[in-house]
Amino acid sequence: MDMMEYFSNADLVGSSPILALGTFSLIALLVNSLVKNSQKIVFWVCVAGVVVSLWFAFDNFELNHTAFSDMLLVGGYASFYSILFLVITLFALFLSVPYLEKEEYHLGEYYILIILSTIGMMLMGSAGDLITIFLGIEIMSVAFYVLAGYFRTKLSSNESALKYFLLGAFATGFLLYGIALIYGTTGTTNLIRIAAQYPQAFMDPLHLIGWGLVLIGFSFKVAAVPFHMWVPDVYEGAPTSVTAFMSTGGKAAAFSAFILAFSVPMSMHDPKLTMVIAILAAASMLIGNWFGLSQTNLKRMLAYSSIAHAGYMLIGIASGTQLGQQGITFYLVSYGLTNLGAFGVIAMLEKENGKNLSYEDYAGLARTKPALAALLSMFMFSLTGIPPFAGFVGKYYLFASAVQSNLTWLAILGVITSLFSTYYYLRIVVYMYFREGGEELPPLSRISFATVVLSGIGIVVLGIVPSLILDVLKSMF
Amino acid sequence: MNLYEIVFYFFAIVTVGSAAVVVFSRNIIYSAFSLLFTFFGVAGLYVLLNADFLAVTQLLIYVGGILVLLLFGVMLTSNTISVELKTGTLHILPATILVALLVGLLTATFWTADWFMSKRASDIAAQTTSKEIGDALVTTHLLPFEIASIILLVAIVGAAMMARRENPKSQIPI
Repeated sequence: MDMMEYFSNADLVGSSPILALGTFSLIALLVNSLVKNSQKIVFWVCVAGVVVSLWFAFDNFELNHTAFSDMLLVGGYASFYSILFLVITLFALFLSVPYLEKEEYHLGEYYILIILSTIGMMLMGSAGDLITIFLGIEIMSVAFYVLAGYFRTKLSSNESALKYFLLGAFATGFLLYGIALIYGTTGTTNLIRIAAQYPQAFMDPLHLIGWGLVLIGFSFKVAAVPFHMWVPDVYEGAPTSVTAFMSTGGKAAAFSAFILAFSVPMSMHDPKLTMVIAILAAASMLIGNWFGLSQTNLKRMLAYSSIAHAGYMLIGIASGTQLGQQGITFYLVSYGLTNLGAFGVIAMLEKENGKNLSYEDYAGLARTKPALAALLSMFMFSLTGIPPFAGFVGKYYLFASAVQSNLTWLAILGVITSLFSTYYYLRIVVYMYFREGGEELPPLSRISFATVVLSGIGIVVLGIVPSLILDVLKSMF
Repeated sequence: MNLYEIVFYFFAIVTVGSAAVVVFSRNIIYSAFSLLFTFFGVAGLYVLLNADFLAVTQLLIYVGGILVLLLFGVMLTSNTISVELKTGTLHILPATILVALLVGLLTATFWTADWFMSKRASDIAAQTTSKEIGDALVTTHLLPFEIASIILLVAIVGAAMMARRENPKSQIPI
């Protein structure tokens, strides 16, 4: 047997972003255990790893092949998503340092787990096989379980980690069982080879049940109703910097794998599954926005908003068109930047033991910290979908894709629920600008502020010149 | 009934019977020990299906690893041995409906599914699967094989971080 047939230079090039990040995580691990009080060094090693990995991902962009016997996609879609995850990671890393220092619980392992979970995300975004998707999800999730419980002595953090872990393990069971059934009926886990068996394989109820179970697993990871129960508690209890990373990187990774698993093989032509996904989307938009209305804690409010946004993005999958997939991808970029910014502001203003997180605490912020108040308002406008911010363009494309594939009711529902959401997004703006208040605030860190400003600039630029990303997306799909 | 069927029903009864004890027993030690028989029974079924590698893995990992871990967990945790587990039933109506639906779905699937293996049972001579799996792990499935090591790394780093004795610098009040 010739081994070289299965492993060549092309495989190494294809997996170079993942390899680079993996290598740097090992270096960081060594530094962390050999040098005392090395959190700062570990941080910079991790940043270096992300930058090197970014460079490889950019370098691979023009390629278009598969690596490791079709297990991994290389170039185009895979590179774009790798770049997105790495940029999100970079933002999250810079937001974390000041936050952890403020909370006085600063360990090097935190950064290592962050970049290890990024490896999982990159595998999910470049998977050509259900096995790769599963392993990617597991790497990302296991790292998230630990990060959610990072504040070991805080009850809320423990609750968050335990809840996430138990429910996540349950969801993994569904996903894996579904993959097993799909393998059992088609004899392969490769997405393209499964696609080749459409539609004969779909006559088999076992095959359909397999996809149904996979759908449950994915719905849990993207936080779609009715598999959303974990989201509010986990987002609230986890350290704010972790929530920022989880709600952006984790969601983007889950959706990138969702698109690969559900639009490459088949189900995009399958009316039954499309209908189920459309219903999931509708339920997520309705329930996410409905419960968002009554929240008083900002982290919880953003958790429900995250459920609602999963609903908007599911529209793109239900529509099954290229426009829909471009819409999701653009939406993920804008949602990532917006949420990182919003959580960044919240992390900066948070006081010890999760204080200063309610609407009332933000009263009068426009007077005490005008720049922060303006930035947070921008992020809220973008989440609502008001032009000229990036959130508007994303929503526009998703709703357009729904109309294009005769799912107009879904687009109408999306617009109506967006109207609901203005209430709770703009309420914070009202509190900041039109209410009196303002106690003393914790000292603000310059790094966090710079990161938040950068994401603010990002959503304005993307909102005014969306073609920057859209042109790339059009060449990709 | 030939020998194959007798052996199959033996393992099937062992599996289902001991699984019932796991669920219904009020003593957690009894549950843990009868889980041992469940795992054994499943391993036996794997052998009958010609899946020798899977059977051995089942024994090594579930019986040798997970069950021992479970027993240690139970025995080292104080007060669990004497504690009576709550096995009462809650929400009887919704549970009945859900389970009935699930059973109906599974039975319907069982009867209507076009089982992949049943068509080709004659093609499969008795042969070992270990070599094929070993070959696949270093050829077509090289990437998953390597990636699995990253999962282990994440798990180890995470476990070590969670199990740290204390934070040297700070005291976060509970």
